[in-house]
Amino acid sequence: MGKSKAGLLQGTLDMLILKALSLGALHGYGIGQRIAQISDDALKIEEGSLYPGLYRLERRGWIDSEWDVSDNNQRAKFYKLTRTGRKQLILEEQNWERLAGATMKALRAS
Amino acid sequence: MSRIKATIRFLHARLHPDQIAREVEAELRFHIEMRTATNVESGMTPDEAQLAARQSFGDFHRFKTECCEISRNLSFDPIPLKMGLHIALAAFAGAVALWAVNVPHHSFVGLFRQLVAITILTYLFVFVRRARSRQRLAGDHMRDIFIAEREKPRKNEFFVSDGREARHVNIASHDEEGLTPVERMFKSK
Repeated sequence: MGKSKAGLLQGTLDMLILKALSLGALHGYGIGQRIAQISDDALKIEEGSLYPGLYRLERRGWIDSEWDVSDNNQRAKFYKLTRTGRKQLILEEQNWERLAGATMKALRAS
Repeated sequence: MSRIKATIRFLHARLHPDQIAREVEAELRFHIEMRTATNVESGMTPDEAQLAARQSFGDFHRFKTECCEISRNLSFDPIPLKMGLHIALAAFAGAVALWAVNVPHHSFVGLFRQLVAITILTYLFVFVRRARSRQRLAGDHMRDIFIAEREKPRKNEFFVSDGREARHVNIASHDEEGLTPVERMFKSK
């Protein structure tokens, strides 16, 4: 049986972007690839929707960006996690674990 | 991002919107090119690869517009910045007033001119402050009144405002208990 792709819950895209960037600086396309890789290709994201998310996170000061040259010698905008972003990622992970735990508990209740 | 950096970026986006739009477009196009190349590597023809890349990307223009919009907005509450501007304006007005008082006057007309200058400056300052605080206090209520006043009342309709909301009310209408708005008002009091 093939794997079905799950849609993203509201607000989880930000957390996934932060998680992808916690492993190092990446351009937008690379972030999409890394999210697919770390989720074992199970999460379905409309690729373009990454960018408004990236701009929002940059505006909040959680990530920073600069133009550089990519592996294939093209100009690309690279994003990296800021110190505030790293703290935010820890908070988001803790909130997510709490929420997921509570949901599982509710679902298992008879 | 520090507040200074955020303000510089905000001003840059406001002053050079075309440059921001070009940068966003270049970034999104880079993504589609990369996806196209990956699709070609996986065995698609260049045309198929590009079409598939555009489809998986989604609505290019919507995402471009969203990114440009986000760049044009400030990331923090601008009220402290506005307060700072007001303080600077007040300090400037005060400095001008002090200068007007300290300039030597050799005649009654000169003294009168200085007094007029100080009065005008004070009036302008007080006027601006009062207008701004009125605007802030009124807020949504003023907007409601403006919207309600633009709509022409129908037969039996009156314009009412309870300080929070302004609307047209039909005084001949009856609610679930069979009471008209006037009877309801007396009953609630």
